[in-house]
Amino acid sequence: MEAAHKKKEERRSVFSDYDYSNFYYGAGDDPINLLGPFCEWYQEAKPNGYYLYSEPLSSAPATHVRVRNGKTGVVQDLLNLASYNYLGISYRDEVKQAAIEAVTKYGLGASGSPILSGTFDIHEDLAREVAAFKAKDAAILFPTGYSANVGFISSIMRAGDTIFCDQYSHASIVDGAILAKSKTVFFRHNNPLDLERKLGGVRGKKLVVVEGVYSMDGDVCVLPDIVDVAKRHGARILIDEAHSTFLFGPNGRGVAEHFGLDREVDFHLGTFSKSLGGQGGFVCGGRDLIDYVNAFGRSRFFSCNLAPPLVAGLRAGLRIVDQEPELRAKLWSNVAYMRRRFAEEGIDIGKSTSQVMPVLVNNDAKVFAVAEKIQDRGLYLQPVTYPAVPKHKSRLRISVSAAHSEDDLEQAVQVIAGVLREEGICR
Amino acid sequence: MSLTRYGYANAISGFFEFPTDNARHILPAGLEPVELHHGTSIFSMTVFDFTESEVGAYGEAVMSVIVVPLVKPGERLPKSAFYPYLVATTTKAARDHAIERWHLPHWMEDVDIRFEPQGNRLTAKVAADGAPVAEMTIGDYSWNPVSHLYQSFMRDGDKGYLANITMEGEQSEHEEETGRVRLHEHPFNKDLVISEVYDVPFREIWMRNGAQTFQPLIQLETA
Repeated sequence: MEAAHKKKEERRSVFSDYDYSNFYYGAGDDPINLLGPFCEWYQEAKPNGYYLYSEPLSSAPATHVRVRNGKTGVVQDLLNLASYNYLGISYRDEVKQAAIEAVTKYGLGASGSPILSGTFDIHEDLAREVAAFKAKDAAILFPTGYSANVGFISSIMRAGDTIFCDQYSHASIVDGAILAKSKTVFFRHNNPLDLERKLGGVRGKKLVVVEGVYSMDGDVCVLPDIVDVAKRHGARILIDEAHSTFLFGPNGRGVAEHFGLDREVDFHLGTFSKSLGGQGGFVCGGRDLIDYVNAFGRSRFFSCNLAPPLVAGLRAGLRIVDQEPELRAKLWSNVAYMRRRFAEEGIDIGKSTSQVMPVLVNNDAKVFAVAEKIQDRGLYLQPVTYPAVPKHKSRLRISVSAAHSEDDLEQAVQVIAGVLREEGICR
Repeated sequence: MSLTRYGYANAISGFFEFPTDNARHILPAGLEPVELHHGTSIFSMTVFDFTESEVGAYGEAVMSVIVVPLVKPGERLPKSAFYPYLVATTTKAARDHAIERWHLPHWMEDVDIRFEPQGNRLTAKVAADGAPVAEMTIGDYSWNPVSHLYQSFMRDGDKGYLANITMEGEQSEHEEETGRVRLHEHPFNKDLVISEVYDVPFREIWMRNGAQTFQPLIQLETA
């Protein structure tokens, strides 16, 4: 009995002593040397909270979802605070009907690269409509948002150039910089002074990459200051509006429009997977830029083009965004409600001013237990912990949607506040 | 050879971003720097206040690059690995011992190391030749007992060595970015491009009332 207890304690310490970052690097003489230690750790980590990742849904990512619990296998009906479906578009009847009609007409996939046989009339239609929505000359489509950053950055930057990225940049930006073989310099998060310091004295081609809304903290880029610094140093600016296109600005064009800096920003990138609830990425700009990226965006033309039914659904979603600005108004009303209620309950959401809200637990040891309790009480959300965020900055990440009712949001606040109090996270 | 134990009152470490180009300049062939971000590696400074050892009590400053650990099937996975490119001690006895036993590269004069506590922060000041070379301040967070395995890689001429080191004691570890290092222009810091070392540690580790235990040295095959 005692030996079994000791063994259990030893195994627990294996789990708590390590995290994903420990299994990335490992020298040796066999590329699979890390598999054994990783699997041993993961076997412990999964029942201790990692099961909360990738729990399968068996319904649309609407405000309420059916989720199979990763530990018990029981299917639960939960209030959804995790999906990116910020405007509730992915399951709208018009969107589904458009996809159904397209699958009847075109079949399932594009069956080819966009530069060979994979471009259909509706791809051109969607690109033209996105460009019009963003008030740009042209747009180019990518199979994913990840592919858009990787393909765009590596299409315009080369070895010998310098890319300046926010330290909290999405992996797709970092991977784009790696593929470009440019020198990559990271500046402190949302800190124009540090950017200025790092731009100083750098010669040659320079690209500053920022995000409209940062996906782990929900804070908005201090774009006016970033633009000022970048312009003074002769650097071009790319803004990734994955979490802000279709939401921010008077016309929903994004954070650049929100700040009145649409023209000052050189390159505008967005995704279809967040606010439109679909999949894919795009870059907007001048015709020359788009033609160039079409020629050199390897992540795009070495991939199959977006599936036609998806493209048809995206076009229908884009029409909804264009014709129903009240959806954005509802979203911002919901965001205001949640911000107010979290503040009243003493819940810390950091510097978030967007629909992405990190509920800061700031306790790596407790965050999984907190998330588990919250799911058991009817909410679907995920914990985020190191190395995705700094040590002790663990959090529950919430996505507010225009589709949520006030009752939904109040239920979420009540459950979260109750669990955080029980766990001593807030008073 | 048996285990070699060094008891300490305090051991503080700051982990700082610096360019991978600088890391590669320091590292010998065959060792890879761990990158925090693409193009950004990790410089670490650790200052010990050893209270007991085979050579008595002494202070030690260790300047390292964080490197990829060596992973072997069936063996305990190290938390991380480092390449100490410069070690400085307050006594000749400690220096001679570490050079002879662990092949660690040393600053060949005694240095002055002072610890200055202030509230929940601790500053270590290192001076060589009567001039300041580095001051590092870190703060605490929450304290937990730990026993962690690390690897230290050493080179001595054309020979390579690995030491498995267990650090035990009370540990505070955080990424609050509240610490600071000041590196002075001094031959002690000649391997670093000081202007490119970010002066705020992204991670701070403070260990106290513990022991650092070396397993017998392993000689590695080198190219």
